[in-house]
Amino acid sequence: MALAFDEYGRPFIILKEQDQKTRLRGIEAQKANISAGKAVARILRTSLGPKGMDKMLQSPDGDVTITNDGATILEQMDVDNQIAKLMVELSRSQDYEIGDGTTGVVVMAGALLEQAEHLLERGIHPIRIAEGYEMASRIDVEHLEHIAQKFDFAPTNIEPLVQTCMTTLSSKMQVVNRCKRPLAEISVKAVLSVADLERKDVNLDLIKVEGKLGGKLEDTELIYGITVDKDMSHPQMPKQIQDAKIAILTCPFEPPKPKTKHKVDIDTVEKFQTLRQQEQKYFDDMVQKCKWFFSGGGVGGRYWYTPLQFWGRQLVLILMFVQDVGATLVICQWGFDDEANHLLMHRNLPAVRWVGGVELELIAIATGGRIVPRFQELTPEKLGRAGLVREKSFGTTKDKMLYIEHCANSRAVTIFIRGGNKMMIEETKRSIHDALCVARNLIRNNSIVYGGGSAEISCSIAVEAAADKHPGYAIRAFADALDSVPMALAENSGLQPIETLSAVKSQQIKENNPHFGIDCNDVGTNDMREQNVFETLIGKQQQILLATQVVKMILKIDDVISPSDF
Amino acid sequence: MASMLQPQIILLKEGTDTSQGKAQLVSNINACTAVADVVRTTLGPRGMDKLIHDDKGSVTISNDGATIMKLLDIVHPAAKILVDIAKSQDSEVGDGTTTVVLLAGEFLKEAKPFVEDGVHPQNLIRSYRTACNLAIEKIKEIAVSIEGKSLEEKKSLLAKCAATTLSSKLIGGEKEFFASMVVDAVIAIGNEDRLNMIGIKKVPGGNMRDSFLVNGVAFKKTFSYAGFEQQPKKFLNPKILLLNIELELKSEKENAEIRLSDPSQYQSIVDAEWNIIYDKLDKCVKSGAKIVLSRLAIGDLATQYFADRDIFCAGRVAEEDLNRVAAAAGGTIQTSVNNIIDEVMGTCEIFEEKQVGNERFNIFSGCPSGRTATIVLRGGADQFIEEAERSLHDAIMIVRRALKNSTVVPGGGAIDMEISRYLRQHARTIAGKSQLFINSYAKALEVIPRQLCDNAGFDATDVLNKLRQKHALPSGEGAPYGVDINTGGIADSFANFVWEPSVVKINAINAATEAACLILSVDETVKNPKSESAQGEAAASAMGGRGRGGGFPGRGRGMRRR
Repeated sequence: MALAFDEYGRPFIILKEQDQKTRLRGIEAQKANISAGKAVARILRTSLGPKGMDKMLQSPDGDVTITNDGATILEQMDVDNQIAKLMVELSRSQDYEIGDGTTGVVVMAGALLEQAEHLLERGIHPIRIAEGYEMASRIDVEHLEHIAQKFDFAPTNIEPLVQTCMTTLSSKMQVVNRCKRPLAEISVKAVLSVADLERKDVNLDLIKVEGKLGGKLEDTELIYGITVDKDMSHPQMPKQIQDAKIAILTCPFEPPKPKTKHKVDIDTVEKFQTLRQQEQKYFDDMVQKCKWFFSGGGVGGRYWYTPLQFWGRQLVLILMFVQDVGATLVICQWGFDDEANHLLMHRNLPAVRWVGGVELELIAIATGGRIVPRFQELTPEKLGRAGLVREKSFGTTKDKMLYIEHCANSRAVTIFIRGGNKMMIEETKRSIHDALCVARNLIRNNSIVYGGGSAEISCSIAVEAAADKHPGYAIRAFADALDSVPMALAENSGLQPIETLSAVKSQQIKENNPHFGIDCNDVGTNDMREQNVFETLIGKQQQILLATQVVKMILKIDDVISPSDF
Repeated sequence: MASMLQPQIILLKEGTDTSQGKAQLVSNINACTAVADVVRTTLGPRGMDKLIHDDKGSVTISNDGATIMKLLDIVHPAAKILVDIAKSQDSEVGDGTTTVVLLAGEFLKEAKPFVEDGVHPQNLIRSYRTACNLAIEKIKEIAVSIEGKSLEEKKSLLAKCAATTLSSKLIGGEKEFFASMVVDAVIAIGNEDRLNMIGIKKVPGGNMRDSFLVNGVAFKKTFSYAGFEQQPKKFLNPKILLLNIELELKSEKENAEIRLSDPSQYQSIVDAEWNIIYDKLDKCVKSGAKIVLSRLAIGDLATQYFADRDIFCAGRVAEEDLNRVAAAAGGTIQTSVNNIIDEVMGTCEIFEEKQVGNERFNIFSGCPSGRTATIVLRGGADQFIEEAERSLHDAIMIVRRALKNSTVVPGGGAIDMEISRYLRQHARTIAGKSQLFINSYAKALEVIPRQLCDNAGFDATDVLNKLRQKHALPSGEGAPYGVDINTGGIADSFANFVWEPSVVKINAINAATEAACLILSVDETVKNPKSESAQGEAAASAMGGRGRGGGFPGRGRGMRRR
């Protein structure tokens, strides 16, 4: 890449290593960028809609993913081209913000780019195109608001929410499609139970989505509580505990040690004795609080006088204390050795060890308990309560999981997915995530538009009408681009794209009813209201705005400077 | 014959590249023009963006002159001066970085024919300097002051300035929205000179209109330990305690070792450690604070302790965020929890943890002293937000400058045309060569409206002639006319609120003239071969670094290894 030449035709060295850089500029740069963007959109186009196909992606280390979620496909594709990367980010933003419609937004952006290419060929200034698109997108967003409908839901009437989630799920993998109704219900119930309806805030972190191989998709369930992929620390411990009172501990089962590096010089027997007495005193003090001990529980006595069982004796004191507070289950962040395990079993105090911090927190939230850092601080008020804690084993495998259910305060819930193979579970997880996001969006803003491409067609008509009033080709091009979403839907469903689209369009204009869309599932009616196909208003608006924004950015680039090996 | 036998005098080391005289000057000018050509297309509301890869693979999409110049990695010694003036314009006024490069390039281009014809560069320089001074005086004369207006009026005027800056950027479509946001932010920090009191947080996702201004502080949820979710997430008028200490159960001193000869003290050491942390936590709670923020870690023990007492805490808060909270809420950062009095604690009207895009944000709004503002930027792609941030930075700088030197001039090339006309008029009164030079300076200034037209795809000659005619009107009423970017004609920039702070123009003209003069005054470049080989060496050692490190001190070996 040389910027200038002297009179003998030799290039000036102006940039560092300039002969290793390439430069594309002007209309060529725009064309190259547009075709890169279009290529990405073309890949996703076939994944749109309820009859969209899945993509199989293999990662460098051999993991296989099968999905039709736009954001996931693009993420896994690992694209290198910069403009293509912008499309990936576009999809990701939609995912972050709305969680659904990640394919649609890319298809929309691709269509806009395609239209822009035609306009560029006619010699229209790219910024003019971008401005026209922007104006059109504003008209579009307003129109969407106009055709949107509000619906009310209450925790008792979740039907509308379920319907919307079903629309989201229907575009997912066929296997998920099979039982979209129960999955949609699960999603809605999960969101409603963690939602703060007053602040219209939903923290999705409180919904744990767990998957386990085996069983069938229909076995997927919502648990008002938490599941932990752990089992009781001792096989002989009870597998089921009613009305459990749970002590949630972050300390190991041993006397506390100083964190500072320390060394105790013990050179005489006396010193050892003193040390022992010290530790003993520590536990004695602790046990002071423990009424049970003084009210004549003699069992501990056996350990009391056995110096060899020094550690065990302390342990049993701890256990007695824990039990005295009223705990019937111990959940511990750290581990404990076999001896402790044996004693726990012996004292009939079931325990779970090595529970991760995040799960610990969720358990605390779900059961209303408090996390306790030291045994001394354990009080009855700090115990969590759960109606039922049970260990469940699956099929013939030795896999076991712990269910903590019927919690006092089910502000944290778990969706437990079963499925025939790992890929299916992963895809279901993604679908559920989308459904959760949709439900969350509806809680934030309860406006909906009708799906099946009906909103796009209606907008296309509105934008086209507006194009007559405003000068410029770009607005009309935007209207054409809007048509490409229903077109792709029709194509993917095996319908005649042009025929179907024009039929629906004329029907919409004739009856002045924005509810007609593409009948992808061949139900027999075009009316999306009858078919109960909803999408969220904010999701749709976001799609349009994001796509326009990124297209504008791509159009605005007229100079690409890159190292030539790229 | 004798002279032929005389040995050649070797003055410089072998391989030194010297080029001198007129040819060198012309070649320098050519190089600078080439660089100016790169940024040329980014000027104005119809300016385009550049996408630049660097060797590390990171990508920038930008419209900002200074950013582009920096990323181009220019090595040509004369052209480097242009990079420097772009940078200086950026740090001095923040906007007009493309303008300054373009002007310098154009001044040089106009000087080139004179140099080729054998004019002594010093003559040119002298005339350029005169012209520059005249131009600046003219700007000061035309400039309209916005001093003495009411706050509301001033706000809308400042927003106009910000909108002009933003119109050439990617976020130009929403310029009014962002302009008023920027003005609010700048007014919020008042006369405070610390620009870091305006925080810009970037959250991918959402569209531009989802960006919002927090009249206070916002920062991303910090890393939290188990127990965090059990803390309350909303407070009204809380007391805020700001700390710079760790609240964790850990050894008090690094690498300390305790040796106990008396085992009876063992337990007391254990207790001591717990007591230290509990004592700290207890003091925090006793202070009555509802929110505890620390620059250092707040461990799980402390998190749970606070959760039990309905206190919100966040550890590892970035220093600048903490400073902003301190300034906004009116507290001071404590390095100890002893003797916390009410005066050192801040407060705000509402604290809330909110979902923004995919992140949770801690938002403190309605702060009493209000000397901070945070802009949360949203956008569809990372590069988009990056560029938006740069654009907002420009706008913030402009508003700040306009607030201090509160005079504005009409933009859209109007001021440039007016100066150009004035200089031409003035040139006629000068006898001698200087007349020509000042005329060429005046012509060079016309590059701004010309480029605006070119970028928008208008017929530049046509528009320029219309503008010249308007500006030449004897009544002077045509002075504020500039390029109308929407219709391709001309319009009154002042009436259309295309305003720039005069300081931007003054600085741009000054810097561009100085750079042009500097380049004109150079007639010889001596390029030392050593620096060249040092570069090669650096590259060689980077490539074959292992070979040398592995006990082959020979440079040649390292080279061959490439």
